Amino acid sequence: MNKIQGAVHYVANNRLQFEKGPSPFDPQKSAADQVGHKYKKQEQPSLEEILPKLETPAIKQRLDDLLSRYPEPQGALLEVLWLIQEALGWVPREAIRYAAGICECSPVHAFSVATFYTMYKHAPTGRFLLQFCRNICCEQKGASNIIAYTEKSLGIQTGETTPDGLFTIVQVECLGACANAPVMLVNDDYATDVQDSKLSMLPGTSLNEERVDKILNWCRERAKNLKEEPTRDALGGPILGHKGHPGAPGATAKVQSKNYAPPSPVLGVQAALIDGGVQVSWKCAPDFTHLLLEKKEGSIWKQVAEPPVRTTEIIDPSGEKGSVYRMIATSGERVAKPSLEVEAK
Amino acid sequence: MSTETVKVCTANFGKGASDISVYKQLGGYSCVSSKLFDLSQFEIIDIVQRSGLRGRGGAGFPTGLKWSFVPRNTDKPVYIVVNADEGEPGTFKDHFLMKEDPHRLIEGLTIAAWALGSRTAYIYVRGEFLSCIETLNKAISEAYQAGMLGENIGGTGFSFDIFVHRGAGAYICGEETALINSLEGKKGQPRLKPPFPAVSGAWNSPTCVNNVETLMAIPWILENGPEAYAALGTLQAGGTKVFCISGDVKKPGVYEAPLGVPLMELLNSPQYAGGIEGKLKGVIPGGSSCPILTAEECEKATMDYESMASLKTMFGSGAVMVINETRDMVPLLKSLGNFYAHESCGQCTPCRDGAGYVQRILQSIHKGEGHEGDLELILSLSEQFDGTTICPLAPSLGMASTAFIQKYRSEFESYIQKNKDKKASRISSTFRPGAFW
Ligand SMILES: Cc1cc2nc3c(=O)[nH]c(=O)nc-3n(C[C@H](O)[C@H](O)[C@H](O)COP(=O)(O)O)c2cc1C
Ligand code: SF4
Ligand code: FES
Repeated sequence: MNKIQGAVHYVANNRLQFEKGPSPFDPQKSAADQVGHKYKKQEQPSLEEILPKLETPAIKQRLDDLLSRYPEPQGALLEVLWLIQEALGWVPREAIRYAAGICECSPVHAFSVATFYTMYKHAPTGRFLLQFCRNICCEQKGASNIIAYTEKSLGIQTGETTPDGLFTIVQVECLGACANAPVMLVNDDYATDVQDSKLSMLPGTSLNEERVDKILNWCRERAKNLKEEPTRDALGGPILGHKGHPGAPGATAKVQSKNYAPPSPVLGVQAALIDGGVQVSWKCAPDFTHLLLEKKEGSIWKQVAEPPVRTTEIIDPSGEKGSVYRMIATSGERVAKPSLEVEAK
Repeated sequence: MSTETVKVCTANFGKGASDISVYKQLGGYSCVSSKLFDLSQFEIIDIVQRSGLRGRGGAGFPTGLKWSFVPRNTDKPVYIVVNADEGEPGTFKDHFLMKEDPHRLIEGLTIAAWALGSRTAYIYVRGEFLSCIETLNKAISEAYQAGMLGENIGGTGFSFDIFVHRGAGAYICGEETALINSLEGKKGQPRLKPPFPAVSGAWNSPTCVNNVETLMAIPWILENGPEAYAALGTLQAGGTKVFCISGDVKKPGVYEAPLGVPLMELLNSPQYAGGIEGKLKGVIPGGSSCPILTAEECEKATMDYESMASLKTMFGSGAVMVINETRDMVPLLKSLGNFYAHESCGQCTPCRDGAGYVQRILQSIHKGEGHEGDLELILSLSEQFDGTTICPLAPSLGMASTAFIQKYRSEFESYIQKNKDKKASRISSTFRPGAFW
């Protein structure tokens, strides 16, 4: 048996990573490796350095809104990490600790979450994060050639950032746009082409070398004209008009009133002629508290039985061919509409 | 058969229906009215059951039946979680459904909430779909303004809120219990079942997880009646399905067709994908987890649950991936091996380690370093996934790779032939401790 070498370096997706993995293979990089936090040591800013960027009134307001949406603060953890990533460009360790404080969970829990999901960046990346899909449909249409072409034309490997700080290349799994395979995301926008000086993904267009060049040039042009990438709301903008989850911090929503819907009439009533009368059967609903079986005599309805609530059939010995039945259910205080009328056949 | 198919979910595509006024003009939100409010919870569930609608997220479980499992009067809130974590390779319908017609999803959700007694719903959207989230947030805000969401909707005592939750890039969060864990702010790791989410899901409350497309079919069913919906499909499963056709066809894209449509019609009809490019070699009929069909099998296949089961594959999420003669199968399966190894959540040893073995063996075969016996090794690993894991992720890899190897074995063998040392034993270099961590 070979001895296990190297120190345990990192835990991502519950995988132990050894500094010098003894594997003779060269597994394809995973997105988590690629954002740079796994093999290279990353300078971590202190809490004092990041706090001014996190404790702004705008972020405070959004945090309050987020916390009001979940019955427990921890539900907001993923979203809080997104907000942090929007404000800082990545999620440093101290910011994860900060998120844990907001969501009332342990820092190690927040850390395990932040490293489980591949879209949280644990190192700063270039201004344009190019995420290439390398999954089956894109591979089929030549994604590996496109990635190799981009790597060559930018002079970097997957996972690296160009020296001018503009581009970082990563490879990811299916992006959910396989009709346009191969595709990529430039930051948060799907791109297979540039149309009217905007990134676009029109039906029937897919990446090729020429379009990759077009997209890279679009990015460079943008970097020239816009000093900084305008921030984009990581949670897709506000939801206006909601009052939160009943009982959550800051929420004013009321719990659902119990009897908001009418009680159910008895469904699926059937009457079958058998030896010794008519067998009436129906579907039971859990909100029934009382049941009545009625038979039509002339034009008036006469009660024939009060079947127990959980039963689904009863025999009416006085029934004969042509008798017409209906059922009426009660749910708590409220009486439901009568069921459909059925004739014994 | 060239009659125009009825569009249940995609009727509003290209009409700008993400705006509430346009959606209403097209007849939208007509169900959030006395049409809904006069019906009891059980009548709605009965209607959905009679329509024969089955879950469109992959498992194909009858939707009405799932709804009937949600307990009532437990004093706990009931949650509805929309599964929009579309990550199955080849699938991209929810992406476009949410982008083109977000209000239909809100309407379907409202009907589901009425039927289940739910107060709060979360739409769990995968992190890559930021533009969908923006569309949804805008649509939800509009719906609040129009009184379609919030408290006392339509003057009844019914209150309902929808929130959007952005995921952060993990395929496994599509599995419903992992989705719930992720919603609770945990790692997206599937839970052991039972308890099923219908009984104890998000925050230990009854939770119903449904796919986007499933919910988007509901308004049509209520509007036109369950019998009309059932009549669109086959005897066993009602309605239409939104197919995502990708790969070597003339017009890849999202197409809605009745269940039971022949596969070759889907690929060749000008109404749908418009023809195959080159000569057909195989089709993956339902997303990457489903075993591949060879060209001969495609001739017989119709797109419904039963025909797919009889061909030993699955209907899945309706992602039809078309592969022509010029494509090499080895790198395709290799990319799937990478995918599953990367997306394994790491809870079960057979999956965490086994998917890694399969990945590395496939990688070395692809590099021309394969050994004799490698294919048997993959087949035997695939067998060992079955029934030994918490969720079906690892068995999916097993099924996909078994079908690839059984049906296109010669291609894999010719790669192995390239290795000069192919007779050497692999065990020593593959199963060393540490090699796969
Ligand atoms: C590994 C795995 C991934 C899944 N991914 C998705 C997904 O991306 N989208 C989806 O709707 N269902 C997905 N499912 C299926 C869900 O578990 C679940 O069956 C579905 O959301 C139920 O909704 P439905 O009844 O409306 O189909 C996945 C299942 C597994 C095991
Ligand atoms: S089978 Fe894989 S993905 Fe599913 S629970 Fe087990 S380790 Fe996680
Ligand atoms: S496989 Fe590349 S987007 Fe789906």
